[in-house]
Amino acid sequence: MNRWLFGAVAASVLLSGCATVEHGSIPVVDASGSVYDQQQGRGSGTTSRPPVATPSQAPAPVEDAGVVVMVPGGGASAAPIQSYPASGVAGSVAPIVSQPITATTPDGNAGYSVPRAPSGAPGGSPAVSGNLAADEQLDGPVLALLTTAQREQGSGNLDSAASSLERAQRIAPREPQVLYRLAEVRLAQGDAAQAEQLARRALTYAGGRPALQASLWNLIAQARERQGDAAGAAQARDRARVNL
Amino acid sequence: MTRTRSPKSPSPRRSGTLRSWLGWTAKLALVGLVVLAGFAVYLDAVVQEKFSGKRWTLPAKVYARPLELFSGLKLSKQDFLTELDALGYRREAVAGPGSVAVSGNTVDLHTRGFRFYEGDEPARRIRVRFSGDYVAGLSGADGKDLPVVRMEPLLIGGLYPAHNEDRILVQRNELPPYLVETLVAVEDREFFSHFGVSPKSIVRALWVNAAAGGVVQGGSTLTQQLVKNFYLSNERSLVRKATEAMMAVLLELHYDKDEILEAYLNEVFLGQDGNRAVHGFGLASQYFFGQPLAELQPHQVALLVGMVKGPTYYNPRRNPERAMTRRNLVIDLMAEQSVIDAAQAAAAKQKPLGVTARGSLANSSHPAFLDLVKRQLREDYQEADLTEEGLRIFTSLDPILQNKAEAALHDTFKRIGKGGDPVEASMVVSNPETGEVLALLGSRQPRFAGFNRALDAVRPIGSLIKPAIYLTALEKPSQYTLTSWVADVPFSVKGQDGQLWRPQNYDHQAHGDIYLYQGLANSYNLSTAKLGLELGVPNVLKTLARLGVEREWPAYPSMLLGAGALTPMEVSSMYLTIASGGFNTPLRGIRSVLAAEGEPLKRYPFQIQQRFDPGAIYLLQNAMQRVMREGTGRSVYSRLPRSLSLAGKTGTTNDSRDSWFAGFSQDLLAVVWLGRDDNGKTPLTGATGALRVWTDFMVKADPLPLDMPVPENVTQAWVDARSGLGSEPGCPDAVQMPYIRGSEPPPGPPCGLPQAPAENVQDVIENVQDVMDWVRDWSN
Repeated sequence: MNRWLFGAVAASVLLSGCATVEHGSIPVVDASGSVYDQQQGRGSGTTSRPPVATPSQAPAPVEDAGVVVMVPGGGASAAPIQSYPASGVAGSVAPIVSQPITATTPDGNAGYSVPRAPSGAPGGSPAVSGNLAADEQLDGPVLALLTTAQREQGSGNLDSAASSLERAQRIAPREPQVLYRLAEVRLAQGDAAQAEQLARRALTYAGGRPALQASLWNLIAQARERQGDAAGAAQARDRARVNL
Repeated sequence: MTRTRSPKSPSPRRSGTLRSWLGWTAKLALVGLVVLAGFAVYLDAVVQEKFSGKRWTLPAKVYARPLELFSGLKLSKQDFLTELDALGYRREAVAGPGSVAVSGNTVDLHTRGFRFYEGDEPARRIRVRFSGDYVAGLSGADGKDLPVVRMEPLLIGGLYPAHNEDRILVQRNELPPYLVETLVAVEDREFFSHFGVSPKSIVRALWVNAAAGGVVQGGSTLTQQLVKNFYLSNERSLVRKATEAMMAVLLELHYDKDEILEAYLNEVFLGQDGNRAVHGFGLASQYFFGQPLAELQPHQVALLVGMVKGPTYYNPRRNPERAMTRRNLVIDLMAEQSVIDAAQAAAAKQKPLGVTARGSLANSSHPAFLDLVKRQLREDYQEADLTEEGLRIFTSLDPILQNKAEAALHDTFKRIGKGGDPVEASMVVSNPETGEVLALLGSRQPRFAGFNRALDAVRPIGSLIKPAIYLTALEKPSQYTLTSWVADVPFSVKGQDGQLWRPQNYDHQAHGDIYLYQGLANSYNLSTAKLGLELGVPNVLKTLARLGVEREWPAYPSMLLGAGALTPMEVSSMYLTIASGGFNTPLRGIRSVLAAEGEPLKRYPFQIQQRFDPGAIYLLQNAMQRVMREGTGRSVYSRLPRSLSLAGKTGTTNDSRDSWFAGFSQDLLAVVWLGRDDNGKTPLTGATGALRVWTDFMVKADPLPLDMPVPENVTQAWVDARSGLGSEPGCPDAVQMPYIRGSEPPPGPPCGLPQAPAENVQDVIENVQDVMDWVRDWSN
């Protein structure tokens, strides 16, 4: 065992030694500098501003004149853009799995009700599903697992609830209601940063569902409050209102 | 030992000597008694101490992901049956846990039930109906639909110290019918009546052995055998025999027969698997039959009981004929002792041995993945906890995908032929939406537990770095769109010491003015390096860090063409962020850990962090889809349908020393590396080597089409395919391209009319300002 380990370490050291280009051989002055320094980066999730353009990085530097939209001179060698069916049209191979889960119904159900109390009867009765989501009817495995998670959460077992919700998320990774519930549980567990992140992920899948979007923004507002970000929370509340 | 002779009619003369002699004898006897009593007390303490405490150290058991069945699941019947075979399901009429019957597209089975992190999944009878490669229906014994059923997970290995005993503990109520009766009949018929040792059974053994013409029965009781294995060395001596007898008696004094029997069943040595000793009937059942002990049938029980006498001599894999003879002898004995009737015995003797080809939980079936699991566990647990406490580790390994990855590698190398001989390989398959590692290959020989290239081979990534450059650009929609014009022309950059860096394209051609995305799709080095220099190497490296690459690289221009080296696992982490819409997710192999008794210990939760604007990622994915449609990855669509809209990137380093491919569908991200351990040249490029493995894997894995939701800040605009100017849907050469809202090109001339490129710059700037406002809102 130790010999293997030693061999592996030795080999990896050797390989990396051989494989890496000699950095020093190409010293170069880099002209671009570090004007637009994006602060957000890897590491701890404490500062969880989204890593998109902040105003400081928005202005276009003048130096890279060569790449702005412009008509090619002569255009001789340019290959035309090739076109394909729009990306949303994934042919006729609609996977069955997505049908029960992401079938969007017309929105307009304003009062998205956040389920709090555990519903009495588990097992996927219509009554339970009505309680679960006004925004959209879920069914099948996802509904069953959300119901289980709700029962676990109701009896105070947040860890089990999170585990059941992750089961649901593996089955329907793009169902924003699953992510919403997971965010709720994380918030109850005291992990406000993850709650916010999960709600944001849910937002990326909640297009065309304003009621759900509003709930998600409200959740983000709560999570930001818990993280001591009052201004961010207020902005999130505004977004929640806009979406309703 | 305490022989004391009573003196008879002592003569007074000799009485002096005699008395003193007797006195000495008595004293000696007394001393002997005291010593013996002391020894007995000591033995008693030994017996109780070891028997009442934790009797065995147990290596941690590692499980694959449990299969979640539900109506709508993408799963072929064949894959399902493969999984059931691996779980040791018996193909027969469905009667009791672990049995399965197949009829056309319907599979009836009785699951075994299992203890998971949140609680018990019950054993139950279910019916699974397949249609195409999907589960079309799932119902219970009463015919009612079931929403979801979780199968028991496959045991994929354990975490062992270097030399070790392994066992799966069983309790009295988990035994198959006939096991106890058969064991008693063969090994110790007086077991339930003797007090630890049985002179009678020694005599009987002699008699039976003589009658059978060979050694069928041993003389020592089960209790003695247990004592021998449990407390004593292998030395053969009278003293040890006596100690064994005393301890056997003491054990019987303190514990009842059931407890002793249970300990025996768990202790007995039944085979050797490499440096792992197979102890107990529970593990032996899994090791030889791939089934839980409770499900064994009489002929299997007979085989295992027969092996007690000589696990190596009667090893059914090595010496099947001997094992068969011994088994049938035991079956005869079972009939003779009325454990089973004659008809049962005759039927049992007709059965084959029924052992699996190799130990189904052999230490080495998935060494690369187990290595990953071990490393992740060592961050949280002491080595001793892992090898002694019987932890149950639940992982994300998908055995079906693991098999497909292994097959893809094997098949591709077969097709490559001799040129591929010295080439090694590794592969990481993960789910971009959960961050879970589903399959891992650390070597061309998947069973070979050696250098784990997936985790440890640090190799230059070549063009795999390019998406980071384009992402850096696409994050600045005011400056770069997919259809920005860039120049693919030779250039050189001067360093401080006057040395020049002159990148070259793979085909040694310059391609002139091209659209930005074409540089990525065709993996042009000139335009990409130029773009990277414009953006600034430090900024590209920052993007890499945000994508999840944790190495510190110097900001040299050569980094832009992939001089930096990463492991396949690190590349997976980087591409995972791209595939999951800009959310960084740590790659996980472990889901949760349970203690030996089933109580939850630790969970490794799903964690994400948004690192990029979804719009920029959407555009990058679009360009990476074009890699597959029109660029260096286009060969995939000779074997896969275009409707999958796969995204990916090839990577080749100088002289083809490394052949990379990283790409994803909606549900699968796979990274493949091929190269030589000695870093020598290979005949393979990213497109001819790694991409072929990747394609073959995807053909086998049948992924879901990549279909990202369009972010709110992205708009589809019509542009002229030749000029890149705005166009109308009906115009010739009009194509749709995605843009960050406001960065789409200004409208061009009406269809067909030429127009001077004097465009309304003010409009563009205003549009961009709108985008920035939107983005600011979004970021809050």
